[in-house]
Amino acid sequence: MLTYTDFLLAMPLFSLTVTVLLIIATEAARVGRARFSQFLAITGLLVTSLLAGLNLRESGVAFQGMIATDAASSYLTILLSLAGIVTALVARPYFEHRDAHRGEFYILLLFAIIGMVLMASANDLITLFLGIELMSFCLYVLAGFERTKDKQNESALKYFLLGAFASAFLLYGIALIYGSVGSTNLDAIARAYAGISNQPLFLLGTAMLIVGLGFKVAAVPFHMWAPDVYEGAPTVVTGFMATAGKSAAFAALAIVMIRTFDIGGSTTADVLALLAAASMVLGNVVAIAQTNLKRMLAYSSVAHAGYLLAGVAAGTAEGFAGVFLYLTAYTVTTLGAFAVIGWHERTNDEGTSLDDYVGLSQHQPVIAAVMALYMFSLTGIPPFAGFIGKYYVFMAAVRADLTWLAIVGVLTSAVSAFYYLRVIVMMYFRERDGEHIPLPRIPVMIALGITAALVIVVGVLPSTVLQLFMPAM
Amino acid sequence: MTPLLLYIVFGAFAAAVIAPLLVRWFGDRASAVLAIVPASVVGIVFFMLGPPPDGLLQATIPWIPSLGIDLSFWVDGLSIIFVLLIAGIGTVVLVYAGAYLHDHRDLGRFLTWIMVFMGAMLGLVTSGNLLTLFLFWELTSISSYFLIGFLHDDAASRKSALQALLITGAGGLSLLAGFILLGSAVGSYELSAILTSGDAFRSSEWYLPGLLLILIGAFTKSAQVPFHFWLPNAMAAPTPVSAYLHSATMVKAGVFMLARLHPVLNGTSEFHVLVGTAGAATMILGAVSAFGQRDLKRLLAYTTVSALGTLVLLLGIGTETAVQAAMVFLLAHALYKGALFLTVGIVDHETGTRDVESLGGLWRMMPMTALAATLAALSMAGLPPMLGFIGKELLYEAKLAAPWAPWTITALGVTANILTVAVAALMTLRTFGGASSSVRTAHDPSWQMWGGVALLASLGFAAGMAADLVATHIVGPATTAIRGERVETSLGLWHGVNPVLLLSLATLASGAALYALHRPIRRMTAGWRPWKAERAYDAALAGMLASARKQTLWLQSGQISTYLALTLLATLLLVGLPILAFWPQLSMVVAMDLALLPTVIAGMMAIAAFLAVRAKTSLGSIIALGVVGYGIAVLFLLYSAPDLAMTQFAVETLSVVLLMLVVAKLPEFRQMGSRSTRLWQAGLAGAGGALMTLLVLFVTAEPARMTLATFYGEASYALANGRNIVNVILVDFRGLDTLGEITVLGIAALGAVALLRLVVDKEDGR
Repeated sequence: MLTYTDFLLAMPLFSLTVTVLLIIATEAARVGRARFSQFLAITGLLVTSLLAGLNLRESGVAFQGMIATDAASSYLTILLSLAGIVTALVARPYFEHRDAHRGEFYILLLFAIIGMVLMASANDLITLFLGIELMSFCLYVLAGFERTKDKQNESALKYFLLGAFASAFLLYGIALIYGSVGSTNLDAIARAYAGISNQPLFLLGTAMLIVGLGFKVAAVPFHMWAPDVYEGAPTVVTGFMATAGKSAAFAALAIVMIRTFDIGGSTTADVLALLAAASMVLGNVVAIAQTNLKRMLAYSSVAHAGYLLAGVAAGTAEGFAGVFLYLTAYTVTTLGAFAVIGWHERTNDEGTSLDDYVGLSQHQPVIAAVMALYMFSLTGIPPFAGFIGKYYVFMAAVRADLTWLAIVGVLTSAVSAFYYLRVIVMMYFRERDGEHIPLPRIPVMIALGITAALVIVVGVLPSTVLQLFMPAM
Repeated sequence: MTPLLLYIVFGAFAAAVIAPLLVRWFGDRASAVLAIVPASVVGIVFFMLGPPPDGLLQATIPWIPSLGIDLSFWVDGLSIIFVLLIAGIGTVVLVYAGAYLHDHRDLGRFLTWIMVFMGAMLGLVTSGNLLTLFLFWELTSISSYFLIGFLHDDAASRKSALQALLITGAGGLSLLAGFILLGSAVGSYELSAILTSGDAFRSSEWYLPGLLLILIGAFTKSAQVPFHFWLPNAMAAPTPVSAYLHSATMVKAGVFMLARLHPVLNGTSEFHVLVGTAGAATMILGAVSAFGQRDLKRLLAYTTVSALGTLVLLLGIGTETAVQAAMVFLLAHALYKGALFLTVGIVDHETGTRDVESLGGLWRMMPMTALAATLAALSMAGLPPMLGFIGKELLYEAKLAAPWAPWTITALGVTANILTVAVAALMTLRTFGGASSSVRTAHDPSWQMWGGVALLASLGFAAGMAADLVATHIVGPATTAIRGERVETSLGLWHGVNPVLLLSLATLASGAALYALHRPIRRMTAGWRPWKAERAYDAALAGMLASARKQTLWLQSGQISTYLALTLLATLLLVGLPILAFWPQLSMVVAMDLALLPTVIAGMMAIAAFLAVRAKTSLGSIIALGVVGYGIAVLFLLYSAPDLAMTQFAVETLSVVLLMLVVAKLPEFRQMGSRSTRLWQAGLAGAGGALMTLLVLFVTAEPARMTLATFYGEASYALANGRNIVNVILVDFRGLDTLGEITVLGIAALGAVALLRLVVDKEDGR
């Protein structure tokens, strides 16, 4: 039976859907231009985060157990909306500059966010899969948004082909789990877990799930698409993909592995820990050799997937909280960094190489300072957001008897300092001989302001953030 | 008390923020204005905090309660001695830097970073929680990175800044790992809990790994062998930075850490052996290397390495006398070495060179500087009545009474000290005394510069004269804090004729003799560096870069077939290994009584799949794949799933048509890959197929679940009053799905409208 509560709990999803329908309608009727779509999208996302904020203290299951709303899912909805708002703000200057500002960008963006919110509030493997596919299809198209550019076409096609492959594994895994439990409902699986956690069929299903979700979060060895796609896609899309996409996939992974499966201490946890260590080592070491900033951040995002996996592998409530806190820190920081890259990039896609940033501090001291802030945060230097995230995840790993993983994480973080700080060195310690780039336009400045402020706020007041999605902690 | 403590730590950070503004308002004098901050800290410690009665002040401000991280302060005698050094020498250095970096365009940035560094150091030594302590520790590494690389036009300067950051930064992370082990073993990160749990930690299994990790952190920071090489290289920094970071404060942070955790770590043979050996090796190596240097700054840097080794050695010995000696020596060394570094800065500033060989006779041109520097050098050589003398006496006393290998340690100590005496003589006599050199135009700099040298040198003298005051108010509380028990200290210049005094005299005489012979000996040992640990660092860095590049070539080829193959391989491992592990438990049904039609269709599909792979054109592949797809549809039909079959037919037709449309525009296959590539791909594909087949066999062995069908069968009339199950499902049970589908169709229609209008626009030429 559907009740009023069902709709109340799913309010953010409805507000997103209504917004996207409105945009489609206005686009079809050509009431406004792309700018109007941007306005609608930002307004809709603001309303959505407001509604999700009202739901922060609610919790319950809606639509016959298909979705579950609680503090964590509402919080993630806010985070995803924020990522959407920042992306929408940055997108207009970016695409207008390239003569490619079209309304369907916002339609795809919002559909992707609907998929992501669905993933974060999934209470059934089917809902989860639906969310993943909705998100992925929009991202495939977004990766090749400027359809006349070969590089973007290549990026989109690669992402699509490999992504479809991973989705197939995911679906197969779901089928196997259904075969051993008799239900795809997460509550039902959680109840049955103790009895079936050692059944071969269930474990095979879990392994397939890990393959599928491992691809979506770009963990080693399923990370190969990330550098090519991140580099090829339009920078605003890359920023969105790397943050919101990863957040939603990790939320799904945490919900399945920690809340539903309770993997703490099991073989599954060990497998995840291995993937985590491999991602940390490979992502960080290879990032050093990169000369293109987009590609460097792609590898660094592989490394961050490793840190996040450490939280998932811990399998505890602390690990869960750590993942969400880390996602917050990572999302606000990386969004900001990509906003800077998008601003700095020239229309012919040049200007993303590390050498192009030489002496930036002399021409644009404010932007250079903000970028330095992001780099510090990504390295995990206190008191910025990145540190708190890393600290929390590693602590969870240690308490779950994965001390070795925490030590690998700490050591690879040391390696990462090398390439993040190199960006700062380029900006500050060299003389500028390149061209002068004018200050970003107002929307980009707003986006940078929001993310930079959050990098500091999350770093200084992590407890307040933690209270939002973990009222009990 | 709390506001005062907060001011001690955060005053400097606040000042850092406004430093660029101050430079805009006051110009060079901004540094003197900023010096008010550390000067007031010294004042607070002297007059307001006083020597704490039980040697302890505590305050806690909650930060992340859920993690148990609080901003807690722990100020005891050990903290006080360090706060005095950091703030006191900081004041002198700030005043000095204003004149030294006169009119430098980046003065604002310099002052910001040096204030950040000062705040981090003050936070480090007053912190009451291991984790906040670690934060401040890393912050000192980072701010020192910017200070060493301050003269960033110089490539060597950038390289050594990075080297220092990587070594101390990596050491810091090792320290964090050690802290985590320590904290987990004790169950708290608060110093109050940790310092009283020494026995618990020493007997836990985490002791040895924890100790090693913490020691690596401390040794990298305090430039102990084999991590010492970054310190002489860091001399690329401006001299005020060298004086402040690389003699008085930052490099002492590792010593501070050993002292701070002394009650927890000390007392095992592992601790004595590891710390003692590293300290002794560093002490002797630094002294030997110092003697052969030509550059005054590097010369001082190596004596600093030696002094740090001495401090670590003393803490490794760990007896009451040794700890006391360490504290006196710490104080004496900071005062004279700070002064001498600043002197080198003056010499460099005035003459333009730091080469010992080309300097001489400067006392005539800069008498005030010469006088102050000589006073400092007397303390370094350990002559009475300087504090350096008392330090050396205590040092010998502690070494002679060491619980293990006292004679070896003493012999090494005497050797190092002889070299130090000779270097002190070299530093002053060669530079300021003797015949005049080629330099003619030098003169005393402004008082801001020589005044600092004079102040530090006289403090060394005053402390020697008033040794008892120093003992009761500074060294005593510090020793008490390190030992974890009340220690009464008294210091004096004269203890009668005893072995220690004789050793001192012998040291001085040998040192003087060595100086007399320094020209031939230095010529022999010039540039001699017995240890090449730096090569390991260079090799590691190069190796990391090379492996990163290699990986990119190997795995990140950009070829989608490689990516797909690797993904498949990983999946095979991840899913295949559990199958192998569970093989005995898995059951499968291999039915042999298959009907003819399905068998034929399956056979056709297999042949078609094989042909799809072998096809020479993409058209052939598509057709063959189409056969496979339609085969599946027929199988669905045969096993009574007509709805699935219909869907499959529709999807298959659509995809074949679409693929054909696309393929028509694609070129033929030109490259098929080498034979070995194809073989490995065939193997991988075969393995993937085998895995899928196995999975199907396992799944069919599970009992089928018919709950859904039964449910709809029973409930359709009872709940929804409908006899046509399909209708009931569509409009009742899954009504919402149907609504969703209608919405989807609506959205698709809207999209189609938008697209069509686009086409119409184009045709209209709009």
